[in-house]
Amino acid sequence: MIGNLILSLALAFSIFSMIMYVFTFRGARNTLGIARLSYHAMTMLVITASVYLSFNIITHNYEFDYIYNYSNDQLSLGMLLSTFWAGQEGSFLLWVLFAALIGVFLQSYTSKREDLEPTVMFSYTAVVSFLLLMVSPLLKTPFAYLWANEIYIEAAKINQQFLSLSILQPFLMSDGQSGQFYVKVNKELYSLLAGQGIEFNTFIIQGKGLNPLLQNFWMQIHPPILFAGFALATVPYAFAISALMKNYYKDWVKQSFPWSLGAGGVLGLGIMLGGYWAYGVLGWGGYWAWDPVENSSLIPWIILVAVIHTMIVQRKEQKQGKEIGRFAKTNLILSITAFVLVIYSTFLTRSGILGDSSVHSFVDPGSLVYLFLVIFLLTFLIAGVGLVIYRWKNLSDEHNANENIWSRELSLFNAALILLASAIIVFFGTSAPIFGVTVEISFYDEMHIPLAIVMLILNALSLVLKWKETEGKEIFKGLRLSLILTLVFAILFIFVAGVKDFMMILLGVSAAFAFFINVEICIKVVAKNFKKIGSYLSHIGIAIFVLGVIGSGAYSKHADVDLVKGEKQNVLGYDMVFTGYEPFENNTKYRFNVVVTDGSDKKVVSPVMYISDFNQSMMREPDIVEGFTNDIYISPVGYEDNEGSSSGQEIIKINPGEEKVAGEKIIVRYVDFIKPDMTVMAQGGDFEMGANVIVQYEDKIEEIRLVSRKSGEGLTNIPVEIKALGAVLTLNHIDPMTKAAEIIFQKQAEQPQGQNVKKEVLSIQASIKPFVSLVWIGVFFTVLGFIIAMIKRSKEE
Amino acid sequence: MKNKYIFGGIIVAVFLTLMIYLFTQTNVQYESDFTKVMEKGRTVKATGSWVKEKNYEIDKVNKTFSFFMRDEKGNEMKVVCPGTIPNNFESATSVVVTGEYTNGYFAAKDILTKCPSKYESPNKSS
Repeated sequence: MIGNLILSLALAFSIFSMIMYVFTFRGARNTLGIARLSYHAMTMLVITASVYLSFNIITHNYEFDYIYNYSNDQLSLGMLLSTFWAGQEGSFLLWVLFAALIGVFLQSYTSKREDLEPTVMFSYTAVVSFLLLMVSPLLKTPFAYLWANEIYIEAAKINQQFLSLSILQPFLMSDGQSGQFYVKVNKELYSLLAGQGIEFNTFIIQGKGLNPLLQNFWMQIHPPILFAGFALATVPYAFAISALMKNYYKDWVKQSFPWSLGAGGVLGLGIMLGGYWAYGVLGWGGYWAWDPVENSSLIPWIILVAVIHTMIVQRKEQKQGKEIGRFAKTNLILSITAFVLVIYSTFLTRSGILGDSSVHSFVDPGSLVYLFLVIFLLTFLIAGVGLVIYRWKNLSDEHNANENIWSRELSLFNAALILLASAIIVFFGTSAPIFGVTVEISFYDEMHIPLAIVMLILNALSLVLKWKETEGKEIFKGLRLSLILTLVFAILFIFVAGVKDFMMILLGVSAAFAFFINVEICIKVVAKNFKKIGSYLSHIGIAIFVLGVIGSGAYSKHADVDLVKGEKQNVLGYDMVFTGYEPFENNTKYRFNVVVTDGSDKKVVSPVMYISDFNQSMMREPDIVEGFTNDIYISPVGYEDNEGSSSGQEIIKINPGEEKVAGEKIIVRYVDFIKPDMTVMAQGGDFEMGANVIVQYEDKIEEIRLVSRKSGEGLTNIPVEIKALGAVLTLNHIDPMTKAAEIIFQKQAEQPQGQNVKKEVLSIQASIKPFVSLVWIGVFFTVLGFIIAMIKRSKEE
Repeated sequence: MKNKYIFGGIIVAVFLTLMIYLFTQTNVQYESDFTKVMEKGRTVKATGSWVKEKNYEIDKVNKTFSFFMRDEKGNEMKVVCPGTIPNNFESATSVVVTGEYTNGYFAAKDILTKCPSKYESPNKSS
């Protein structure tokens, strides 16, 4: 109740603040103060709601549906706190929190700049209101109670002292198949318990817990940064809308610029950390899998980067005294698009529309949320695009001269264009599942290779271009040194590194070209003015990143090997020995140690395998030896302590009286059905049912009883071993009505006589990934460049 | 003509053509009806669920694992996948495999498992 009340109040204040800002814009007096006050009240309420949720998570208040579903008592504090954003409701609240906090800075920033505040804060509060609506009790509040909808909870999650309570009995039920006990939790049960004076929090004492895939260090960092980036992307949108509302374009680029850089930097950092996390978790295939969830946050980032390029031009021209300047429409449209794409990304990943195509599974959250997200998207799209069209005539530039081909203006425009092309490709591929088709990963790769080549060469050339026009002689002079260095690199790249693929050679050489020229110019410029280092750093980063992608993407080597304990094996040029396993975390997980030797260098790689309580699944975690030139990446596949014990398994479907052939020459005959004792069954006691079976192999005949035993612990199928055959038979399923049986027939591999020595075998998938380090170094430089540029631009005014 | 329109036009035209071409080459359709998957003989993304009663098998020699998948109508087919069993395979509510149906089984290139843990409404029927 309290949580929902706080959020509803916050929504009311947000809408009220928005309305007051409109009145202020329309010329009303005295409303500005009220708008500010309401905004701050809203922020305080959102902070309170977030603290309230965190507090309830820490104190394990499983009466909240959200907390029950994503946390449990076993999680460490860091993981526990990150369950805040483990689900849809909480991650929206996190987004609201960042939006509200960033708004405080935005309000203070805009209030110091003439009449900027009412219009900027109007569109900003509109966004915040929409986000708050999303977490309101109407849609997806994180404060919904567990009993609000009827659900079944495992009896083990209930305080055992209440299980014998008489009022509880009608709510207890067992699952016929697994024999598990469940408690039906609904409003009725809640009021009955309340009648007995039992608090719900003492009744339910355990939650479902966090998906083990999310139990990772980066879970604490990556989502918050990404949502901060999403929240920051609202700011350029608000500035663009503000300029259009006022029909005044002189200042908005200057003001929006540092915010756009900040949004690009933070969002970029968030995406990069997501990639780093994915790299360390098995099943994701490296740092980037073109998964819809990854893509959908990449698209707005690319657009932000594009608009940063064209904003430079408009800013430059305005500095030189022009009223509007070049690319005004482009800048407005891209600023609007970037934010609309953030909402689109949310729509794709939260509406359930991508159901089948993403690793992140998002089960349909309901048609109401779907509809709401569509309205959210359309509102901000139509408002933005509509305003641009409405102001179109005013935006047409003041007889701008044609851009010269050899001018920085045109090359910056082309940079934006190429980034736009990249965004369209990713957008197209990611949206395809809406229409029931998907593209393969090669679609993205093959499209981006030529694009990246053009982009890198363009970036390199643009550095020697001047504003307005450049003479051919100057261009050559500027490029000379870099061209020589690139030539040297190309020779080494082809003949020493041995790259043969033509497109890869082109890509690598253009990356090197961009790298050398950026470094050269950077040194010259920075010597005069250190603050200008930002953009060079970002471009150097991109060049390094591309080289890393070539190495790790195109030249990774893989091998599947079985390592026998104690035996040295050469895998991809490294000596690997499996030395045994060790349990950790209270014997719940196992580390499998592999000693990897490269020359004199010895390293222990310890991939992890365990059965997760959360989903009863085998979880495998790779381990990586990170190096500058090579990463050795070892994923566990399986472990056996007796060679060949699990070969040949077969399932036989058989009816009474029938004969089937299993393995090669083994005949299985279903003699008759073993009926369960009906009276015992009705009383809920232990019983057996199954099949009498005759197994015949050459002249050996054996009669066996295959049964499923039902007891308090559930249903167990009892395996029967036939030593003479080296086989194990287990009843998999039997239908008491038709008496049809399914029998699992497992043949053990024949073992050579006298060799019963226990052999421990670890199966691994080993990969050598060259120069992954460059990917991280590159992205780090890029992000750092954004931050430096942001600081410089924010001081520029 | 303005240079920005010439450049823009060329880049847009080239990449749109390339994109549409590649899209037609690499697009893969979803198919939840296995009778269609079996007759098509082309790469599809087959969606269905793992038949738990029929355990999966690991072929250590060929480094593959195989299991049976069932569609909504109850049609079943054998699926052979390269590599390891995905982390959350046992608990997956549905499975999406990309590949082609040949020689009596579905030769998958890629497998995707959907687990019911994230962003799901907790409905468990008894």
